[in-house]
Amino acid sequence: MDFKNVEDVQSRLESSNYIPSREISTVIFLAQATQKPVLIEGPAGVGKTELAKAVSRSMGRDLIRMQCYEGLDETKALYEWEYAKQLLYTQMVKDKIDHLISDVTDINDAVAKISSQEDAFFSEKFIQPRPLLKAITSEKPVVLLIDEVDKSDPEFEAFLLELLSDFQVTIPEIGTMSAVSMPFVFLTSNNYRDMSDALKRRCVHLYIDYPELHTERQIVKMKIPGIKEELLDKLVQTIGNLRKLDLKKKPCISETLDWAKALIALEADEISPEVLRDTLNVLCKYKTDEETVKKHIESLV
Amino acid sequence: MLETILKFSACCRAYRFNISTAQTLDCFEQLKLINPVDETEFKTVLKTNFVKTQRDAPHFETLYNLFFHDINVSSKTEVNQDKELKDNVLDALGEFAKQNNDPTYDVLMEFMQGDPQDYLGEISDMHNQLEEKQAALKSNMGQLAMRLDVMLKINQLRSRVLELVKGFGENAAPESLENIEKHFSVLFDKAYDILTREPKKDNVGLKDVKNTEDKYKNIGNKPFSNLSPDEIEMTRDVIDQLVRKLNDITSRRFVAKNKGRLDIKKTLKDANKFQGIPVHIHYKHKPLRKGKVVTLCDISGSVWSASRFMLNILYSLQDCFSRVKSYVFVSGLCDVSEIFEQNDINDAIDKVMNEADIEYDVPTDYGQTFAEFKENHMHELNSKTTLIIIGDARSNYMNPHAEILEDMRFKCKRIIWLNPEPLASWDTGDSEMLTYKSHVNEVRPCQNINQLCAFIEDLIL
Repeated sequence: MDFKNVEDVQSRLESSNYIPSREISTVIFLAQATQKPVLIEGPAGVGKTELAKAVSRSMGRDLIRMQCYEGLDETKALYEWEYAKQLLYTQMVKDKIDHLISDVTDINDAVAKISSQEDAFFSEKFIQPRPLLKAITSEKPVVLLIDEVDKSDPEFEAFLLELLSDFQVTIPEIGTMSAVSMPFVFLTSNNYRDMSDALKRRCVHLYIDYPELHTERQIVKMKIPGIKEELLDKLVQTIGNLRKLDLKKKPCISETLDWAKALIALEADEISPEVLRDTLNVLCKYKTDEETVKKHIESLV
Repeated sequence: MLETILKFSACCRAYRFNISTAQTLDCFEQLKLINPVDETEFKTVLKTNFVKTQRDAPHFETLYNLFFHDINVSSKTEVNQDKELKDNVLDALGEFAKQNNDPTYDVLMEFMQGDPQDYLGEISDMHNQLEEKQAALKSNMGQLAMRLDVMLKINQLRSRVLELVKGFGENAAPESLENIEKHFSVLFDKAYDILTREPKKDNVGLKDVKNTEDKYKNIGNKPFSNLSPDEIEMTRDVIDQLVRKLNDITSRRFVAKNKGRLDIKKTLKDANKFQGIPVHIHYKHKPLRKGKVVTLCDISGSVWSASRFMLNILYSLQDCFSRVKSYVFVSGLCDVSEIFEQNDINDAIDKVMNEADIEYDVPTDYGQTFAEFKENHMHELNSKTTLIIIGDARSNYMNPHAEILEDMRFKCKRIIWLNPEPLASWDTGDSEMLTYKSHVNEVRPCQNINQLCAFIEDLIL
């Protein structure tokens, strides 16, 4: 079901276990109302992919996800002919083909007769749809998530550009296939490289940063309802302090949640420098980061 | 509303935002869907349409606050008398500007009247203006003089306002006079801020590598500039070792294209051409594509000691890239790719220092170098090129022309800046590292062989 207004987005995302800022809700509403893709930027682990999932849940749509990587091409993203199936079928109907051309004497006529039947082998039956084609041909509207688009090659980006502007693809043997229902498209980027201006212009842009203290508090409380208030306050504050340090990989929301679970499992009622030191491997993913945190551990807690 | 949005988008364009008509139209469409009185929603609509990368967000915030809060909004409590006084002051200032017949006064007057577009455009042009080449003495006085001129004119208008307010003193309430003085003072401060403080780009994707593993003890941590001749030889040995190791790894990777799991689909597809006989076997392992590398090396003073080792490694690993193109610079730029292609590495390094067509005894000028690169070599960059710049970013207080570096960023895949100075010296004195840092994709210190090796391994593997 479509969103009615910004408030509706806010409340429905919250009931889908995602706490959005007002800005996020506004962008989602605008994108849906104008049928434009959303390009989400932000550091790793701030909930870019989760937002797309939450939108699909709150709208009751299926989520089709496509992970981008270097070397991704149309056959992996759009469609591929099922050659093995085609080959198998030609072998199976070989007698029928023989029968079809049995009454002709001329090779040209035989070719003409067979080519009039070639639609049978180049039809939708023999197409293996990949995420993009699935999203376009789906009867029910879906949410299409094109994850980490910055990792794909510029050629693929150019192809995506064409798809996102018209929501239609041309398969030479079949013809043009237009979207049956408009998918709600999300593109996420970690800024490994800059996307082209043309792609950016076609999307509404959203930047998600690490959440503010009170939002992160709400998130932890929602995901781990049993957490004690004092521990929660101290936890989000310490995470906030950790993010101010010059770390190679700053702790993201999922690490906050992991840490909260670890603290509960260890039955730690408060966060002391010792507790932080003992559980540092949950928060830091690099040895150099651990060393940096240890240097400042007294001022963090 | 229409008029305001159009004016705002014109201001954004004047401040180097690329805003198309389609984006402005989208903005109008979307404003109909939200409650424009709610500032968060209103601002989000403008931001999502005009800011297409987080890098531009600080500039947008500055412009938004200037346009919608600082200069365009009159206070709701403003009484008629205040408005009349303000108009009188503006009229008198307008007369003053007319008498002086100077375009800077005109744009400043438009700024005071709530239309900052031309002023923003003029400041933006001023920041990006190239100095004319001078034969003998080189300086960036042209740009500084222009800025000083605008500053003086702001000050002249400021004193003129004070005189005018004093003149009105007898007929107006002291509170009104105070309000008027404050109003104009805020505007002049804003104009001054725009002139002197350009907001830094929010370079969210920046990879800032500060710590590296101490792979080689002793020699590994010794700065390139302090190496004795014996140590230089030892460093070369270390580099040879590393090059051999990396060449082994990468050649194995490229050889792997003929191994790995069978790609049945591709093999069958190809077999169709030969009546179902799989003549060409396809495997699932694809060799990684080779990228092109362009290097810009500062060869002045201590930077050269790092640059030469860097070039040594890059050219030894040429097979890992589709092409390596190298330029050296001090104030001007020189293409030295041919020297490296035609000579042995160590000979090539000596030749660069002695034969390259470059002036060595001039102060380093990064802005000039970038300008030259833009004019003559920009075509070398494409979306698959990695640009590596080695330099201390000390530009002798010349215009750094960071906007050209930004143009270069949009043309290539990644820009990596290697700085051979210790981290503590970055951003001190005439170093423009902070300015350049907001336009590149990666910054690294490259002071010793440990740091250089870590970078090369990261680049190749």
